[in-house]
Amino acid sequence: MHVLMMILYAAIAATVLAAVDPRTDTTPQRLRHGLKMFGAFLGIGLLLSWILFPIPW
Amino acid sequence: MQSRDDLSDDLTAHFRARVAAESDLKPYPLPRRTLALIVAWLIPGAGHLVLGKVGRAMLFFVAIVGAFVLGLALHGRLFWPSPADSPDAWVRVDLISVLWFFSQIGAGLCYLVPYVANWGTTPQPWASTYEYGNTFMFLAGLLNYLVMHDAFDIGAGRKR
Repeated sequence: MHVLMMILYAAIAATVLAAVDPRTDTTPQRLRHGLKMFGAFLGIGLLLSWILFPIPW
Repeated sequence: MQSRDDLSDDLTAHFRARVAAESDLKPYPLPRRTLALIVAWLIPGAGHLVLGKVGRAMLFFVAIVGAFVLGLALHGRLFWPSPADSPDAWVRVDLISVLWFFSQIGAGLCYLVPYVANWGTTPQPWASTYEYGNTFMFLAGLLNYLVMHDAFDIGAGRKR
């Protein structure tokens, strides 16, 4: 459930952020940028969860 | 191999093309820009629709309204600035509830319609998806502020 929510959150945020980014002009540029951001959200989320997992709180 | 002069010509041509391409960026008339900004807040994506950006308008509508509805469906709560817990607090309102309210009200009618209809106004913290729901509703409102800003930039001729 938690991972599914994270994927949905990352997809929505990456879609909108890529579309409003002033550095992208064309649809293929926005698509590439959005996919990179989506991957970064997921990658950083998983990395943080892996780092934080052993901390007992 | 290109000589230095060829490279210089390439760069000149590149910048001329860029300037020519940018010159078609003209500001929209003020009433249309203002209307775009207002409807962009009320209905996510509608500002882009007013400016003729149909594809992006649909994308923003689906993403933002979808996130807000998903948040409500996951038992998220609509926040309203609440009074401070302690009567001695130097600010009379609970500041974190103001921030949460600010995040959600960014989604415009997505917030106002359920608030008036009394959907999602009762906190359900015992629901296992309560925090997920709140988070999606915050996301929707905050993203819509960015979308409003984008519509404003397009209207002002600063962006395509």
